[in-house]
Amino acid sequence: MPSPRSALAVAVDIGGTFTDVALHDTASGEVWRAKTPSIPSDPSKAFMTGVRLALEQADRKAETLDRVLHGTTVATNMILEGKGARAALVTTSGFRHVLAIGRQDIPRRANLYAWIKPARPVPASRVFEIEERVGAGGNILVPLDEASVIRAAEACRALEVEAVAVCLLHSFANPVNERRTAEMLRDLLPGVAVTASVDVLPVVREYERSLATVLNAVVMPGISSYVGRLERRLVDEAVKAPLLLMQSNGGVAGSATICRAPALTALSGPAAGVVGARDVAAACGIKDIITVDIGGTSADICLIKDGRISLTQQGHVGEWPLPLPMVDMVTIGAGGGSIARVENGMLAVGPQSAGAVPGPAAYGHGGKVATVTDAHVVLGNLPARLLGGRMMLDADAARAVIRDEVAGPMGLTLAQAARGILSILDNHMVGALRVVSVERGHDPRDFVLVPFGGAGPLHGCSLAELLGVRTVMVPPAPGVLCADGLLVADLKAEFSRTLPLAGTIDLDVARAIYRELREMAEQWMDEEQVPPDQRERHQVALLRYHGQGSEIAIPWAGSREEVEAAFAAAHQTLYGFVLDAPIELVTLRVEAIGHMPQPARPVLAPGQGAKAVETHAIHLSDEPATVPMYDRKTLGAGDRFDGPAIVTQLDATTLVKPGWRVTVQPNGALLLTLSDEV
Amino acid sequence: MLRSTEDEAARSDGTQAVCDPVTVEIIRGAIRAVQAEMEALLERTAISAFIREKKDFYTGLFDADGIMAVGSNIPVFGDMTGPIIREFPLETMREGDLYWYNDCYGSRGAVSHSNDQVLLAPVFHQGRRCAFVMCWAHFSDIGGIRAGSISPDATDIFQEGIIVPPTKLIDAGSTNEAALAIFHRNSRFPAQSLGDMRALMAANALGVRRVQEIVARFGADKVADALRQLLARTRDLVRTKLAETFTYGTHRFTDAIDSDGHGHGPFKIRFALTREKAGHEDRFIFDASATDDQSVGPVNFLMNPGIPGMALGLYYLGGDPTQVCNAGGPQALDEVRLREGSLLWPRFPAALGMRGLTMMRVLAGLNGLINVAGGGAPAAHSAYVITLMRGTFRDAAGRQQPFLLSDGIGVGYGARPTADGIDAVYFVAQENYPVEFLEVGYPVRLKRYGIVQDSGGAGRYRGGCGIVREYEILAEEAILAVRIDSVDNPPWGMAGGMSGGSGAVRLNPGCKDERRVAPLSDGTRLKRGDVLRIETGGGGGHGHPFDRPAEAVLEDVRGGFVSLDAARRLYGVAICGETVDETTTTVLRSDRPLTRAFHRKEYVDALT
Repeated sequence: MPSPRSALAVAVDIGGTFTDVALHDTASGEVWRAKTPSIPSDPSKAFMTGVRLALEQADRKAETLDRVLHGTTVATNMILEGKGARAALVTTSGFRHVLAIGRQDIPRRANLYAWIKPARPVPASRVFEIEERVGAGGNILVPLDEASVIRAAEACRALEVEAVAVCLLHSFANPVNERRTAEMLRDLLPGVAVTASVDVLPVVREYERSLATVLNAVVMPGISSYVGRLERRLVDEAVKAPLLLMQSNGGVAGSATICRAPALTALSGPAAGVVGARDVAAACGIKDIITVDIGGTSADICLIKDGRISLTQQGHVGEWPLPLPMVDMVTIGAGGGSIARVENGMLAVGPQSAGAVPGPAAYGHGGKVATVTDAHVVLGNLPARLLGGRMMLDADAARAVIRDEVAGPMGLTLAQAARGILSILDNHMVGALRVVSVERGHDPRDFVLVPFGGAGPLHGCSLAELLGVRTVMVPPAPGVLCADGLLVADLKAEFSRTLPLAGTIDLDVARAIYRELREMAEQWMDEEQVPPDQRERHQVALLRYHGQGSEIAIPWAGSREEVEAAFAAAHQTLYGFVLDAPIELVTLRVEAIGHMPQPARPVLAPGQGAKAVETHAIHLSDEPATVPMYDRKTLGAGDRFDGPAIVTQLDATTLVKPGWRVTVQPNGALLLTLSDEV
Repeated sequence: MLRSTEDEAARSDGTQAVCDPVTVEIIRGAIRAVQAEMEALLERTAISAFIREKKDFYTGLFDADGIMAVGSNIPVFGDMTGPIIREFPLETMREGDLYWYNDCYGSRGAVSHSNDQVLLAPVFHQGRRCAFVMCWAHFSDIGGIRAGSISPDATDIFQEGIIVPPTKLIDAGSTNEAALAIFHRNSRFPAQSLGDMRALMAANALGVRRVQEIVARFGADKVADALRQLLARTRDLVRTKLAETFTYGTHRFTDAIDSDGHGHGPFKIRFALTREKAGHEDRFIFDASATDDQSVGPVNFLMNPGIPGMALGLYYLGGDPTQVCNAGGPQALDEVRLREGSLLWPRFPAALGMRGLTMMRVLAGLNGLINVAGGGAPAAHSAYVITLMRGTFRDAAGRQQPFLLSDGIGVGYGARPTADGIDAVYFVAQENYPVEFLEVGYPVRLKRYGIVQDSGGAGRYRGGCGIVREYEILAEEAILAVRIDSVDNPPWGMAGGMSGGSGAVRLNPGCKDERRVAPLSDGTRLKRGDVLRIETGGGGGHGHPFDRPAEAVLEDVRGGFVSLDAARRLYGVAICGETVDETTTTVLRSDRPLTRAFHRKEYVDALT
């Protein structure tokens, strides 16, 4: 843990196309940014290149860095692309096919004639049974037969596996056999990464727990070598600061934590941006926001109430459920690269994406399908050059694909077709926005919409209008908010225990478990060197009505009556009714937070009045209109102007629709408000 | 005949298209979101494991006249709103109404066993009826002959629990609490019944609210037109594909269920599809009237005439996510002929509780009908298996407590012309009870839960494998019912693929008191310490087994899906240790058995 006087922090966010670096003088608030192409074969190279570039710009030395923060999708990509380690699963005798069976369902949205069960990350041929059995509630029915573990180890060795997952029945209720098995396998298989399910996800339901354990095992060797490589490169550059990595829960953790449970990073991709958005909003005095992070292939949507980012355990990576604590957000396949196509006379947009290569036709890399970005180009929503002139848009190519793929087949004009594409995309995102707001009992109109990501600010006004939201905030650097988010993220970890048998709240039992969980949390914060005055803990109880299958997280109030009343109130808000049935306590959780020193925020000089740098033709309706185009660099605090307008900057373009007024905030954010006249 | 078809004809002259294609797509997405939200609410709040863990529930949205516009991806929906509209004319409906039924005969098979409770509400906007929202769920006990309400022993529907005719449960906001009280009083597990009904009502209310928002946003005319377009789109697509598959003339296919559990069977299900010219149009006539007579036992499937079209529609929609499963499927067929008194249209009050096995065989038969006409439907699947245990156990305090365990067990699905059949699944959206959940909540302990080796029909594409589930009984005592079909008539394979494995139930396997339990039976007594092993059947294979790549066979052997012996005998693949013995395999495969069109225990030209 760095000292509170820390002066220089660097954040590195590695995306599919670019690696973004933000270097921050935390005392002065100065920020330097660098962008370098990502190197998928060895992301650590781009990491160091970016850091060096930023240090050069700032004219600082690597040894003066005292915080290195990093967001990586290495684990996520390994899972999605099936490129993780060759792994085995060791499980209880009689249950070899738990993974193969899954939950024995054809998914609700799938077609039973066409659906193909996805290949498991570990095939049945690499699942080995051992003799042992723990019963419901945790009593040991069959003690561990160590000879069977030795046989399993031999089988693993014969198949040359690089990682082993251990998931035994009911281990969440009693981990003795599982821990002993993992310990033996570590001894018997030196150099092989071994994961025990209780160290990843100590909760009921064997399929989901096995899967989480297997996914953790599959990414473990890759993450360990990646982190090791990064640390060596940092040492080579004389960096003394510890490396902290972003987790799915929206907090960072040291490399030791991440190497133990790398699956914790598998849903971390969009988390840093949410943290960054919260920080920008807080600087403007705004605590209730809905964030929309729109990239090339997907959009991530998250709601923050009272500045608190809530967690969920219902995440997925590709086809796989991964019930680890993650920022409660919804991800949909909708972005700038989403493909628009006409089938049976109907226009559909996404979830397929043209990706980075060849990407939209307008990028001039030979893209032949119509994408959302092409629709923006056709309508004039994007200026002719992007990335400060480094990239020219091919408007003719965009018009050609929209005409050939959409307008022609549907008998629409070019502008109608392009607006149709954007309209479908916006509505698709509104569906997801409603999931995080209306479905969770919140009225979106009480929130400020914060669009970011490269394509976010193009859609902010439209989404707000569809939702009835009257305020939109565009962060200072919307395209690289993830790097900024890393700079302001806290250290975070969760410690939870599922009761062997759910039942009515027993205060003594609960207090004893919370005490243990708090001790684990303290131990972790010691390890991460969090100063005592920077530690924060929340105790959370997961409850349900007797008979239900999913729980609601309620802050632990200390008395049964209060906790039960809070549960009933939450049930009423979420689902519209309460039951006269016993309330059960299922899981107890301690959320540990180590506050990081908050950097000084950059302050924008007062503006001299906004002046358009040029004008630009856009198609807001059937007739093209000429609107002013502003350069974000020339805007100062307090500057105001009205839509329709376009605001350009290095990393994103903002479309201000008619009826919206823009006010530049002291922290550089644009606050867009809807005028009453419209 | 299908009400949906008649209504479509009656309206087709009137309305102009007012909803552009972009808006149709947006409305479709919004309705999908409503469904997802209703389903999530049900799943999170329902009390019985049958709904919230197994997830036996579905939702749908209908137009202002009650025609299904967006359903779920299962082919078991018939005309759901008709039964309500017949009792409560459309013009009498008011905002805040909620209707309810589970009456199979009263709904002409819209609901096909009494456990399924259907809730339907009209959606009004500014006084105009714009849509209907439905959700239904399987209630675990509604009275009847035994706990769980469905039993192979039942011989009439009165033994299968309380019957709720089409009823107005909420009249303009005022709930008929007496009806609910009577219903819950008839359940052996009233707390589950009450909790599930609250969840179902909350989900329906949510759906109504959300659809109202959609109508408010787009306008009633646009929404109506969008729904009409969604219907037309599905109907046109299905008719086009039907014409591609079926030449003029009559195509026939016969499948069979083994038994009704009362000593009768097999029962043949006979399908014919005729395509004929009628003026400029074609007519498609589906005829199942040659099906055998109804059964004494509860395997009758009171098939709503909409079902065949819904299933064919779902097959033809394939995996295309932009397509919607709705009444367009049934509307694609011009006529559906059934015979009263047959297994698919039994006379009141024949028992229906175990209709699931017949329904699954109907789906396999429809696959066969497509395939004999030259289409590319999967080979046959097994019918999903259900077991019921009812009895008593001692709780932690030593008190005797009643319990009911209805455990659904997956089977193998049929191989396809380009892909293996699905291993170990139950049906669309229905999940298992995890071992750890089962053992915490019920007096059983599982000894095994895995794949049944060699149960998938051999073929170039292998049929899916079934599941073995072995329970140790911890209850003091329990009465067991099981439902397995396709034992005598296993799921057929085709194009050289072989039939799938049969299921089996054994009590205390390997012990001296070992015995087989009849595959469709009730009344087997279980006592503490007994071991019950259930093996479910697999799906049929597709293509000649000798054409399956040897490496794929090896991987199946190493994963426990195929035995060494079957690899050699059926696939012609010799495996030595962990590798394929190429030389021997070449020799084995040079002696290639002749095949015929279908396979059920042996190769045949046609199944009859």
